[in-house]
Amino acid sequence: MTLTVVPGPVRRVAAAAGSPVQALADLLIVGRGPYARAFENLILGLIIFSVASIGIESIPGLPEWALSALHVAEIVVVAVFTFEYVMRLIAAKNKFAFIFSYQGLIDLLAIAPFYLVGLDARWLRALRLLRLLRVLKLQTHILETVVEERTRELAEKNAALETAQAQLKAELEVARSLQLAILPSAFPATPGCDAAARMIPATTMGGDFYDYIELPTGEVGLVIADVSGHGVPAAFFMAVARTNLRERAVHHIDPGECLAQTNDSLCAQNPMDLFVTVFYCVLDPKTGALRYANGGHNPPYIRRATGEVETLSGAGGLVLGALPGAKYPTHTVQLLRGDRLVLYTDGVTEAFNPAEELYGAPRLADEVHVHGGGTPAALVERICRSVTNFAGTAPQSDDITLTVLTWGAP
Amino acid sequence: MNVRLERLDRATVVIPEGRLDFDAATDFQKQLEGLFTSGTPPGAVIIDCGMLEYVSSAGLRVFLLGAKAAQKAGVAFAICDLKPAVREVFDLSGFSRVLAVHPDRATALGQGPGRT
Repeated sequence: MTLTVVPGPVRRVAAAAGSPVQALADLLIVGRGPYARAFENLILGLIIFSVASIGIESIPGLPEWALSALHVAEIVVVAVFTFEYVMRLIAAKNKFAFIFSYQGLIDLLAIAPFYLVGLDARWLRALRLLRLLRVLKLQTHILETVVEERTRELAEKNAALETAQAQLKAELEVARSLQLAILPSAFPATPGCDAAARMIPATTMGGDFYDYIELPTGEVGLVIADVSGHGVPAAFFMAVARTNLRERAVHHIDPGECLAQTNDSLCAQNPMDLFVTVFYCVLDPKTGALRYANGGHNPPYIRRATGEVETLSGAGGLVLGALPGAKYPTHTVQLLRGDRLVLYTDGVTEAFNPAEELYGAPRLADEVHVHGGGTPAALVERICRSVTNFAGTAPQSDDITLTVLTWGAP
Repeated sequence: MNVRLERLDRATVVIPEGRLDFDAATDFQKQLEGLFTSGTPPGAVIIDCGMLEYVSSAGLRVFLLGAKAAQKAGVAFAICDLKPAVREVFDLSGFSRVLAVHPDRATALGQGPGRT
């Protein structure tokens, strides 16, 4: 017999793709079912038996019947191996590549000596030891495939998560820019007044806001506010609070009354139990009279034209949204020409530096005192720079919001 | 922030320590809510702020939520021993006028139900 025996069935079977033979090859070799496993175990058993039989055959003085039995067994082993080889060849997509693959050559070497030399090729049969190595290699290969598959699945899941996160982040960005967009970008053109504002948002969505409201009386309303907490709830509450306050500001001249009504309205639509600190003042640009009410907010500063810094410390009321029925007294203060009003949120005074020290109200008052003589925009810039320099590398945990107004500036 | 609990005969004393900022507020809120939802009634609830260094507005909200939960459960709720920095935040926000705030624990325990 010669090696040419092998390509014979290949041609036949290749022509009969989809035939029962092909189906059998797929079932035994490619499949992962019980038949494939059983076939694999059978081959493994025969490999071990065959290697062992080489050893047994070498024992001198073996009885004739034993030798005959071993010969029969050898023929059976070679028959099964040949069958397996043909099945592998049929199952292989690329026959040529299989024949010359590491696996294919070893499988062929395990049976070729029998066809070339016959039963006497005992020592050449030791080549079957290579098949054992092949089995080991196969195991490693299966393990590698499993690991690869799991790694790929993990990468896919990670990618999906990343996409979802990016989407969420993009949506939050949009919400954030919408929130920033409702802050007024310019102070209404009011003779004798000039104002500037700035908000440096914290990394998460915050709830600070400021507002300029043109009142029907010719007066100007000025608001600064800070919603408790962060995130989407705070942002929504901020939008609701701003709209409520604006609506009432136009209809109710008294700042205290305006806060009281806004508070009651917020208490009625506050499922998250959030609250907002609000300072609201109304300036008469003709006279410089300033009426204000405070709902739990940091008292603003007045920097007199002389440089002195005063606190608008008139008694305030409760934060808005906490309890219905809260009252907010209105106070009046007279601005003189060249005076500046500085409104801020606690993001300014409660900025921490890496050593966990607070920026603090005294530092702010000092900046206002020393650098408050210029334009509102210059003072806003100056304070923002002072706070960010102070905070350094410490993360910004709260929005930093600031509004400066001058009255009667030349 | 760390929170300790002391169970007395007729009251539960909650002792928050350190900085009650936005990040710490969620945990503190859960712990306070747990007092009212767990099986054993807390008696009066007293928040002893002697070890509390700083309260942000998000932290302040937890006190308000605690007071509201206590009111709902029919339990007295009081706050005591505020450090000056924390006291300032309570005064500024108006909370010291609507919550029962006492100078020290003994007064808080002695005065029984405060305004909530």
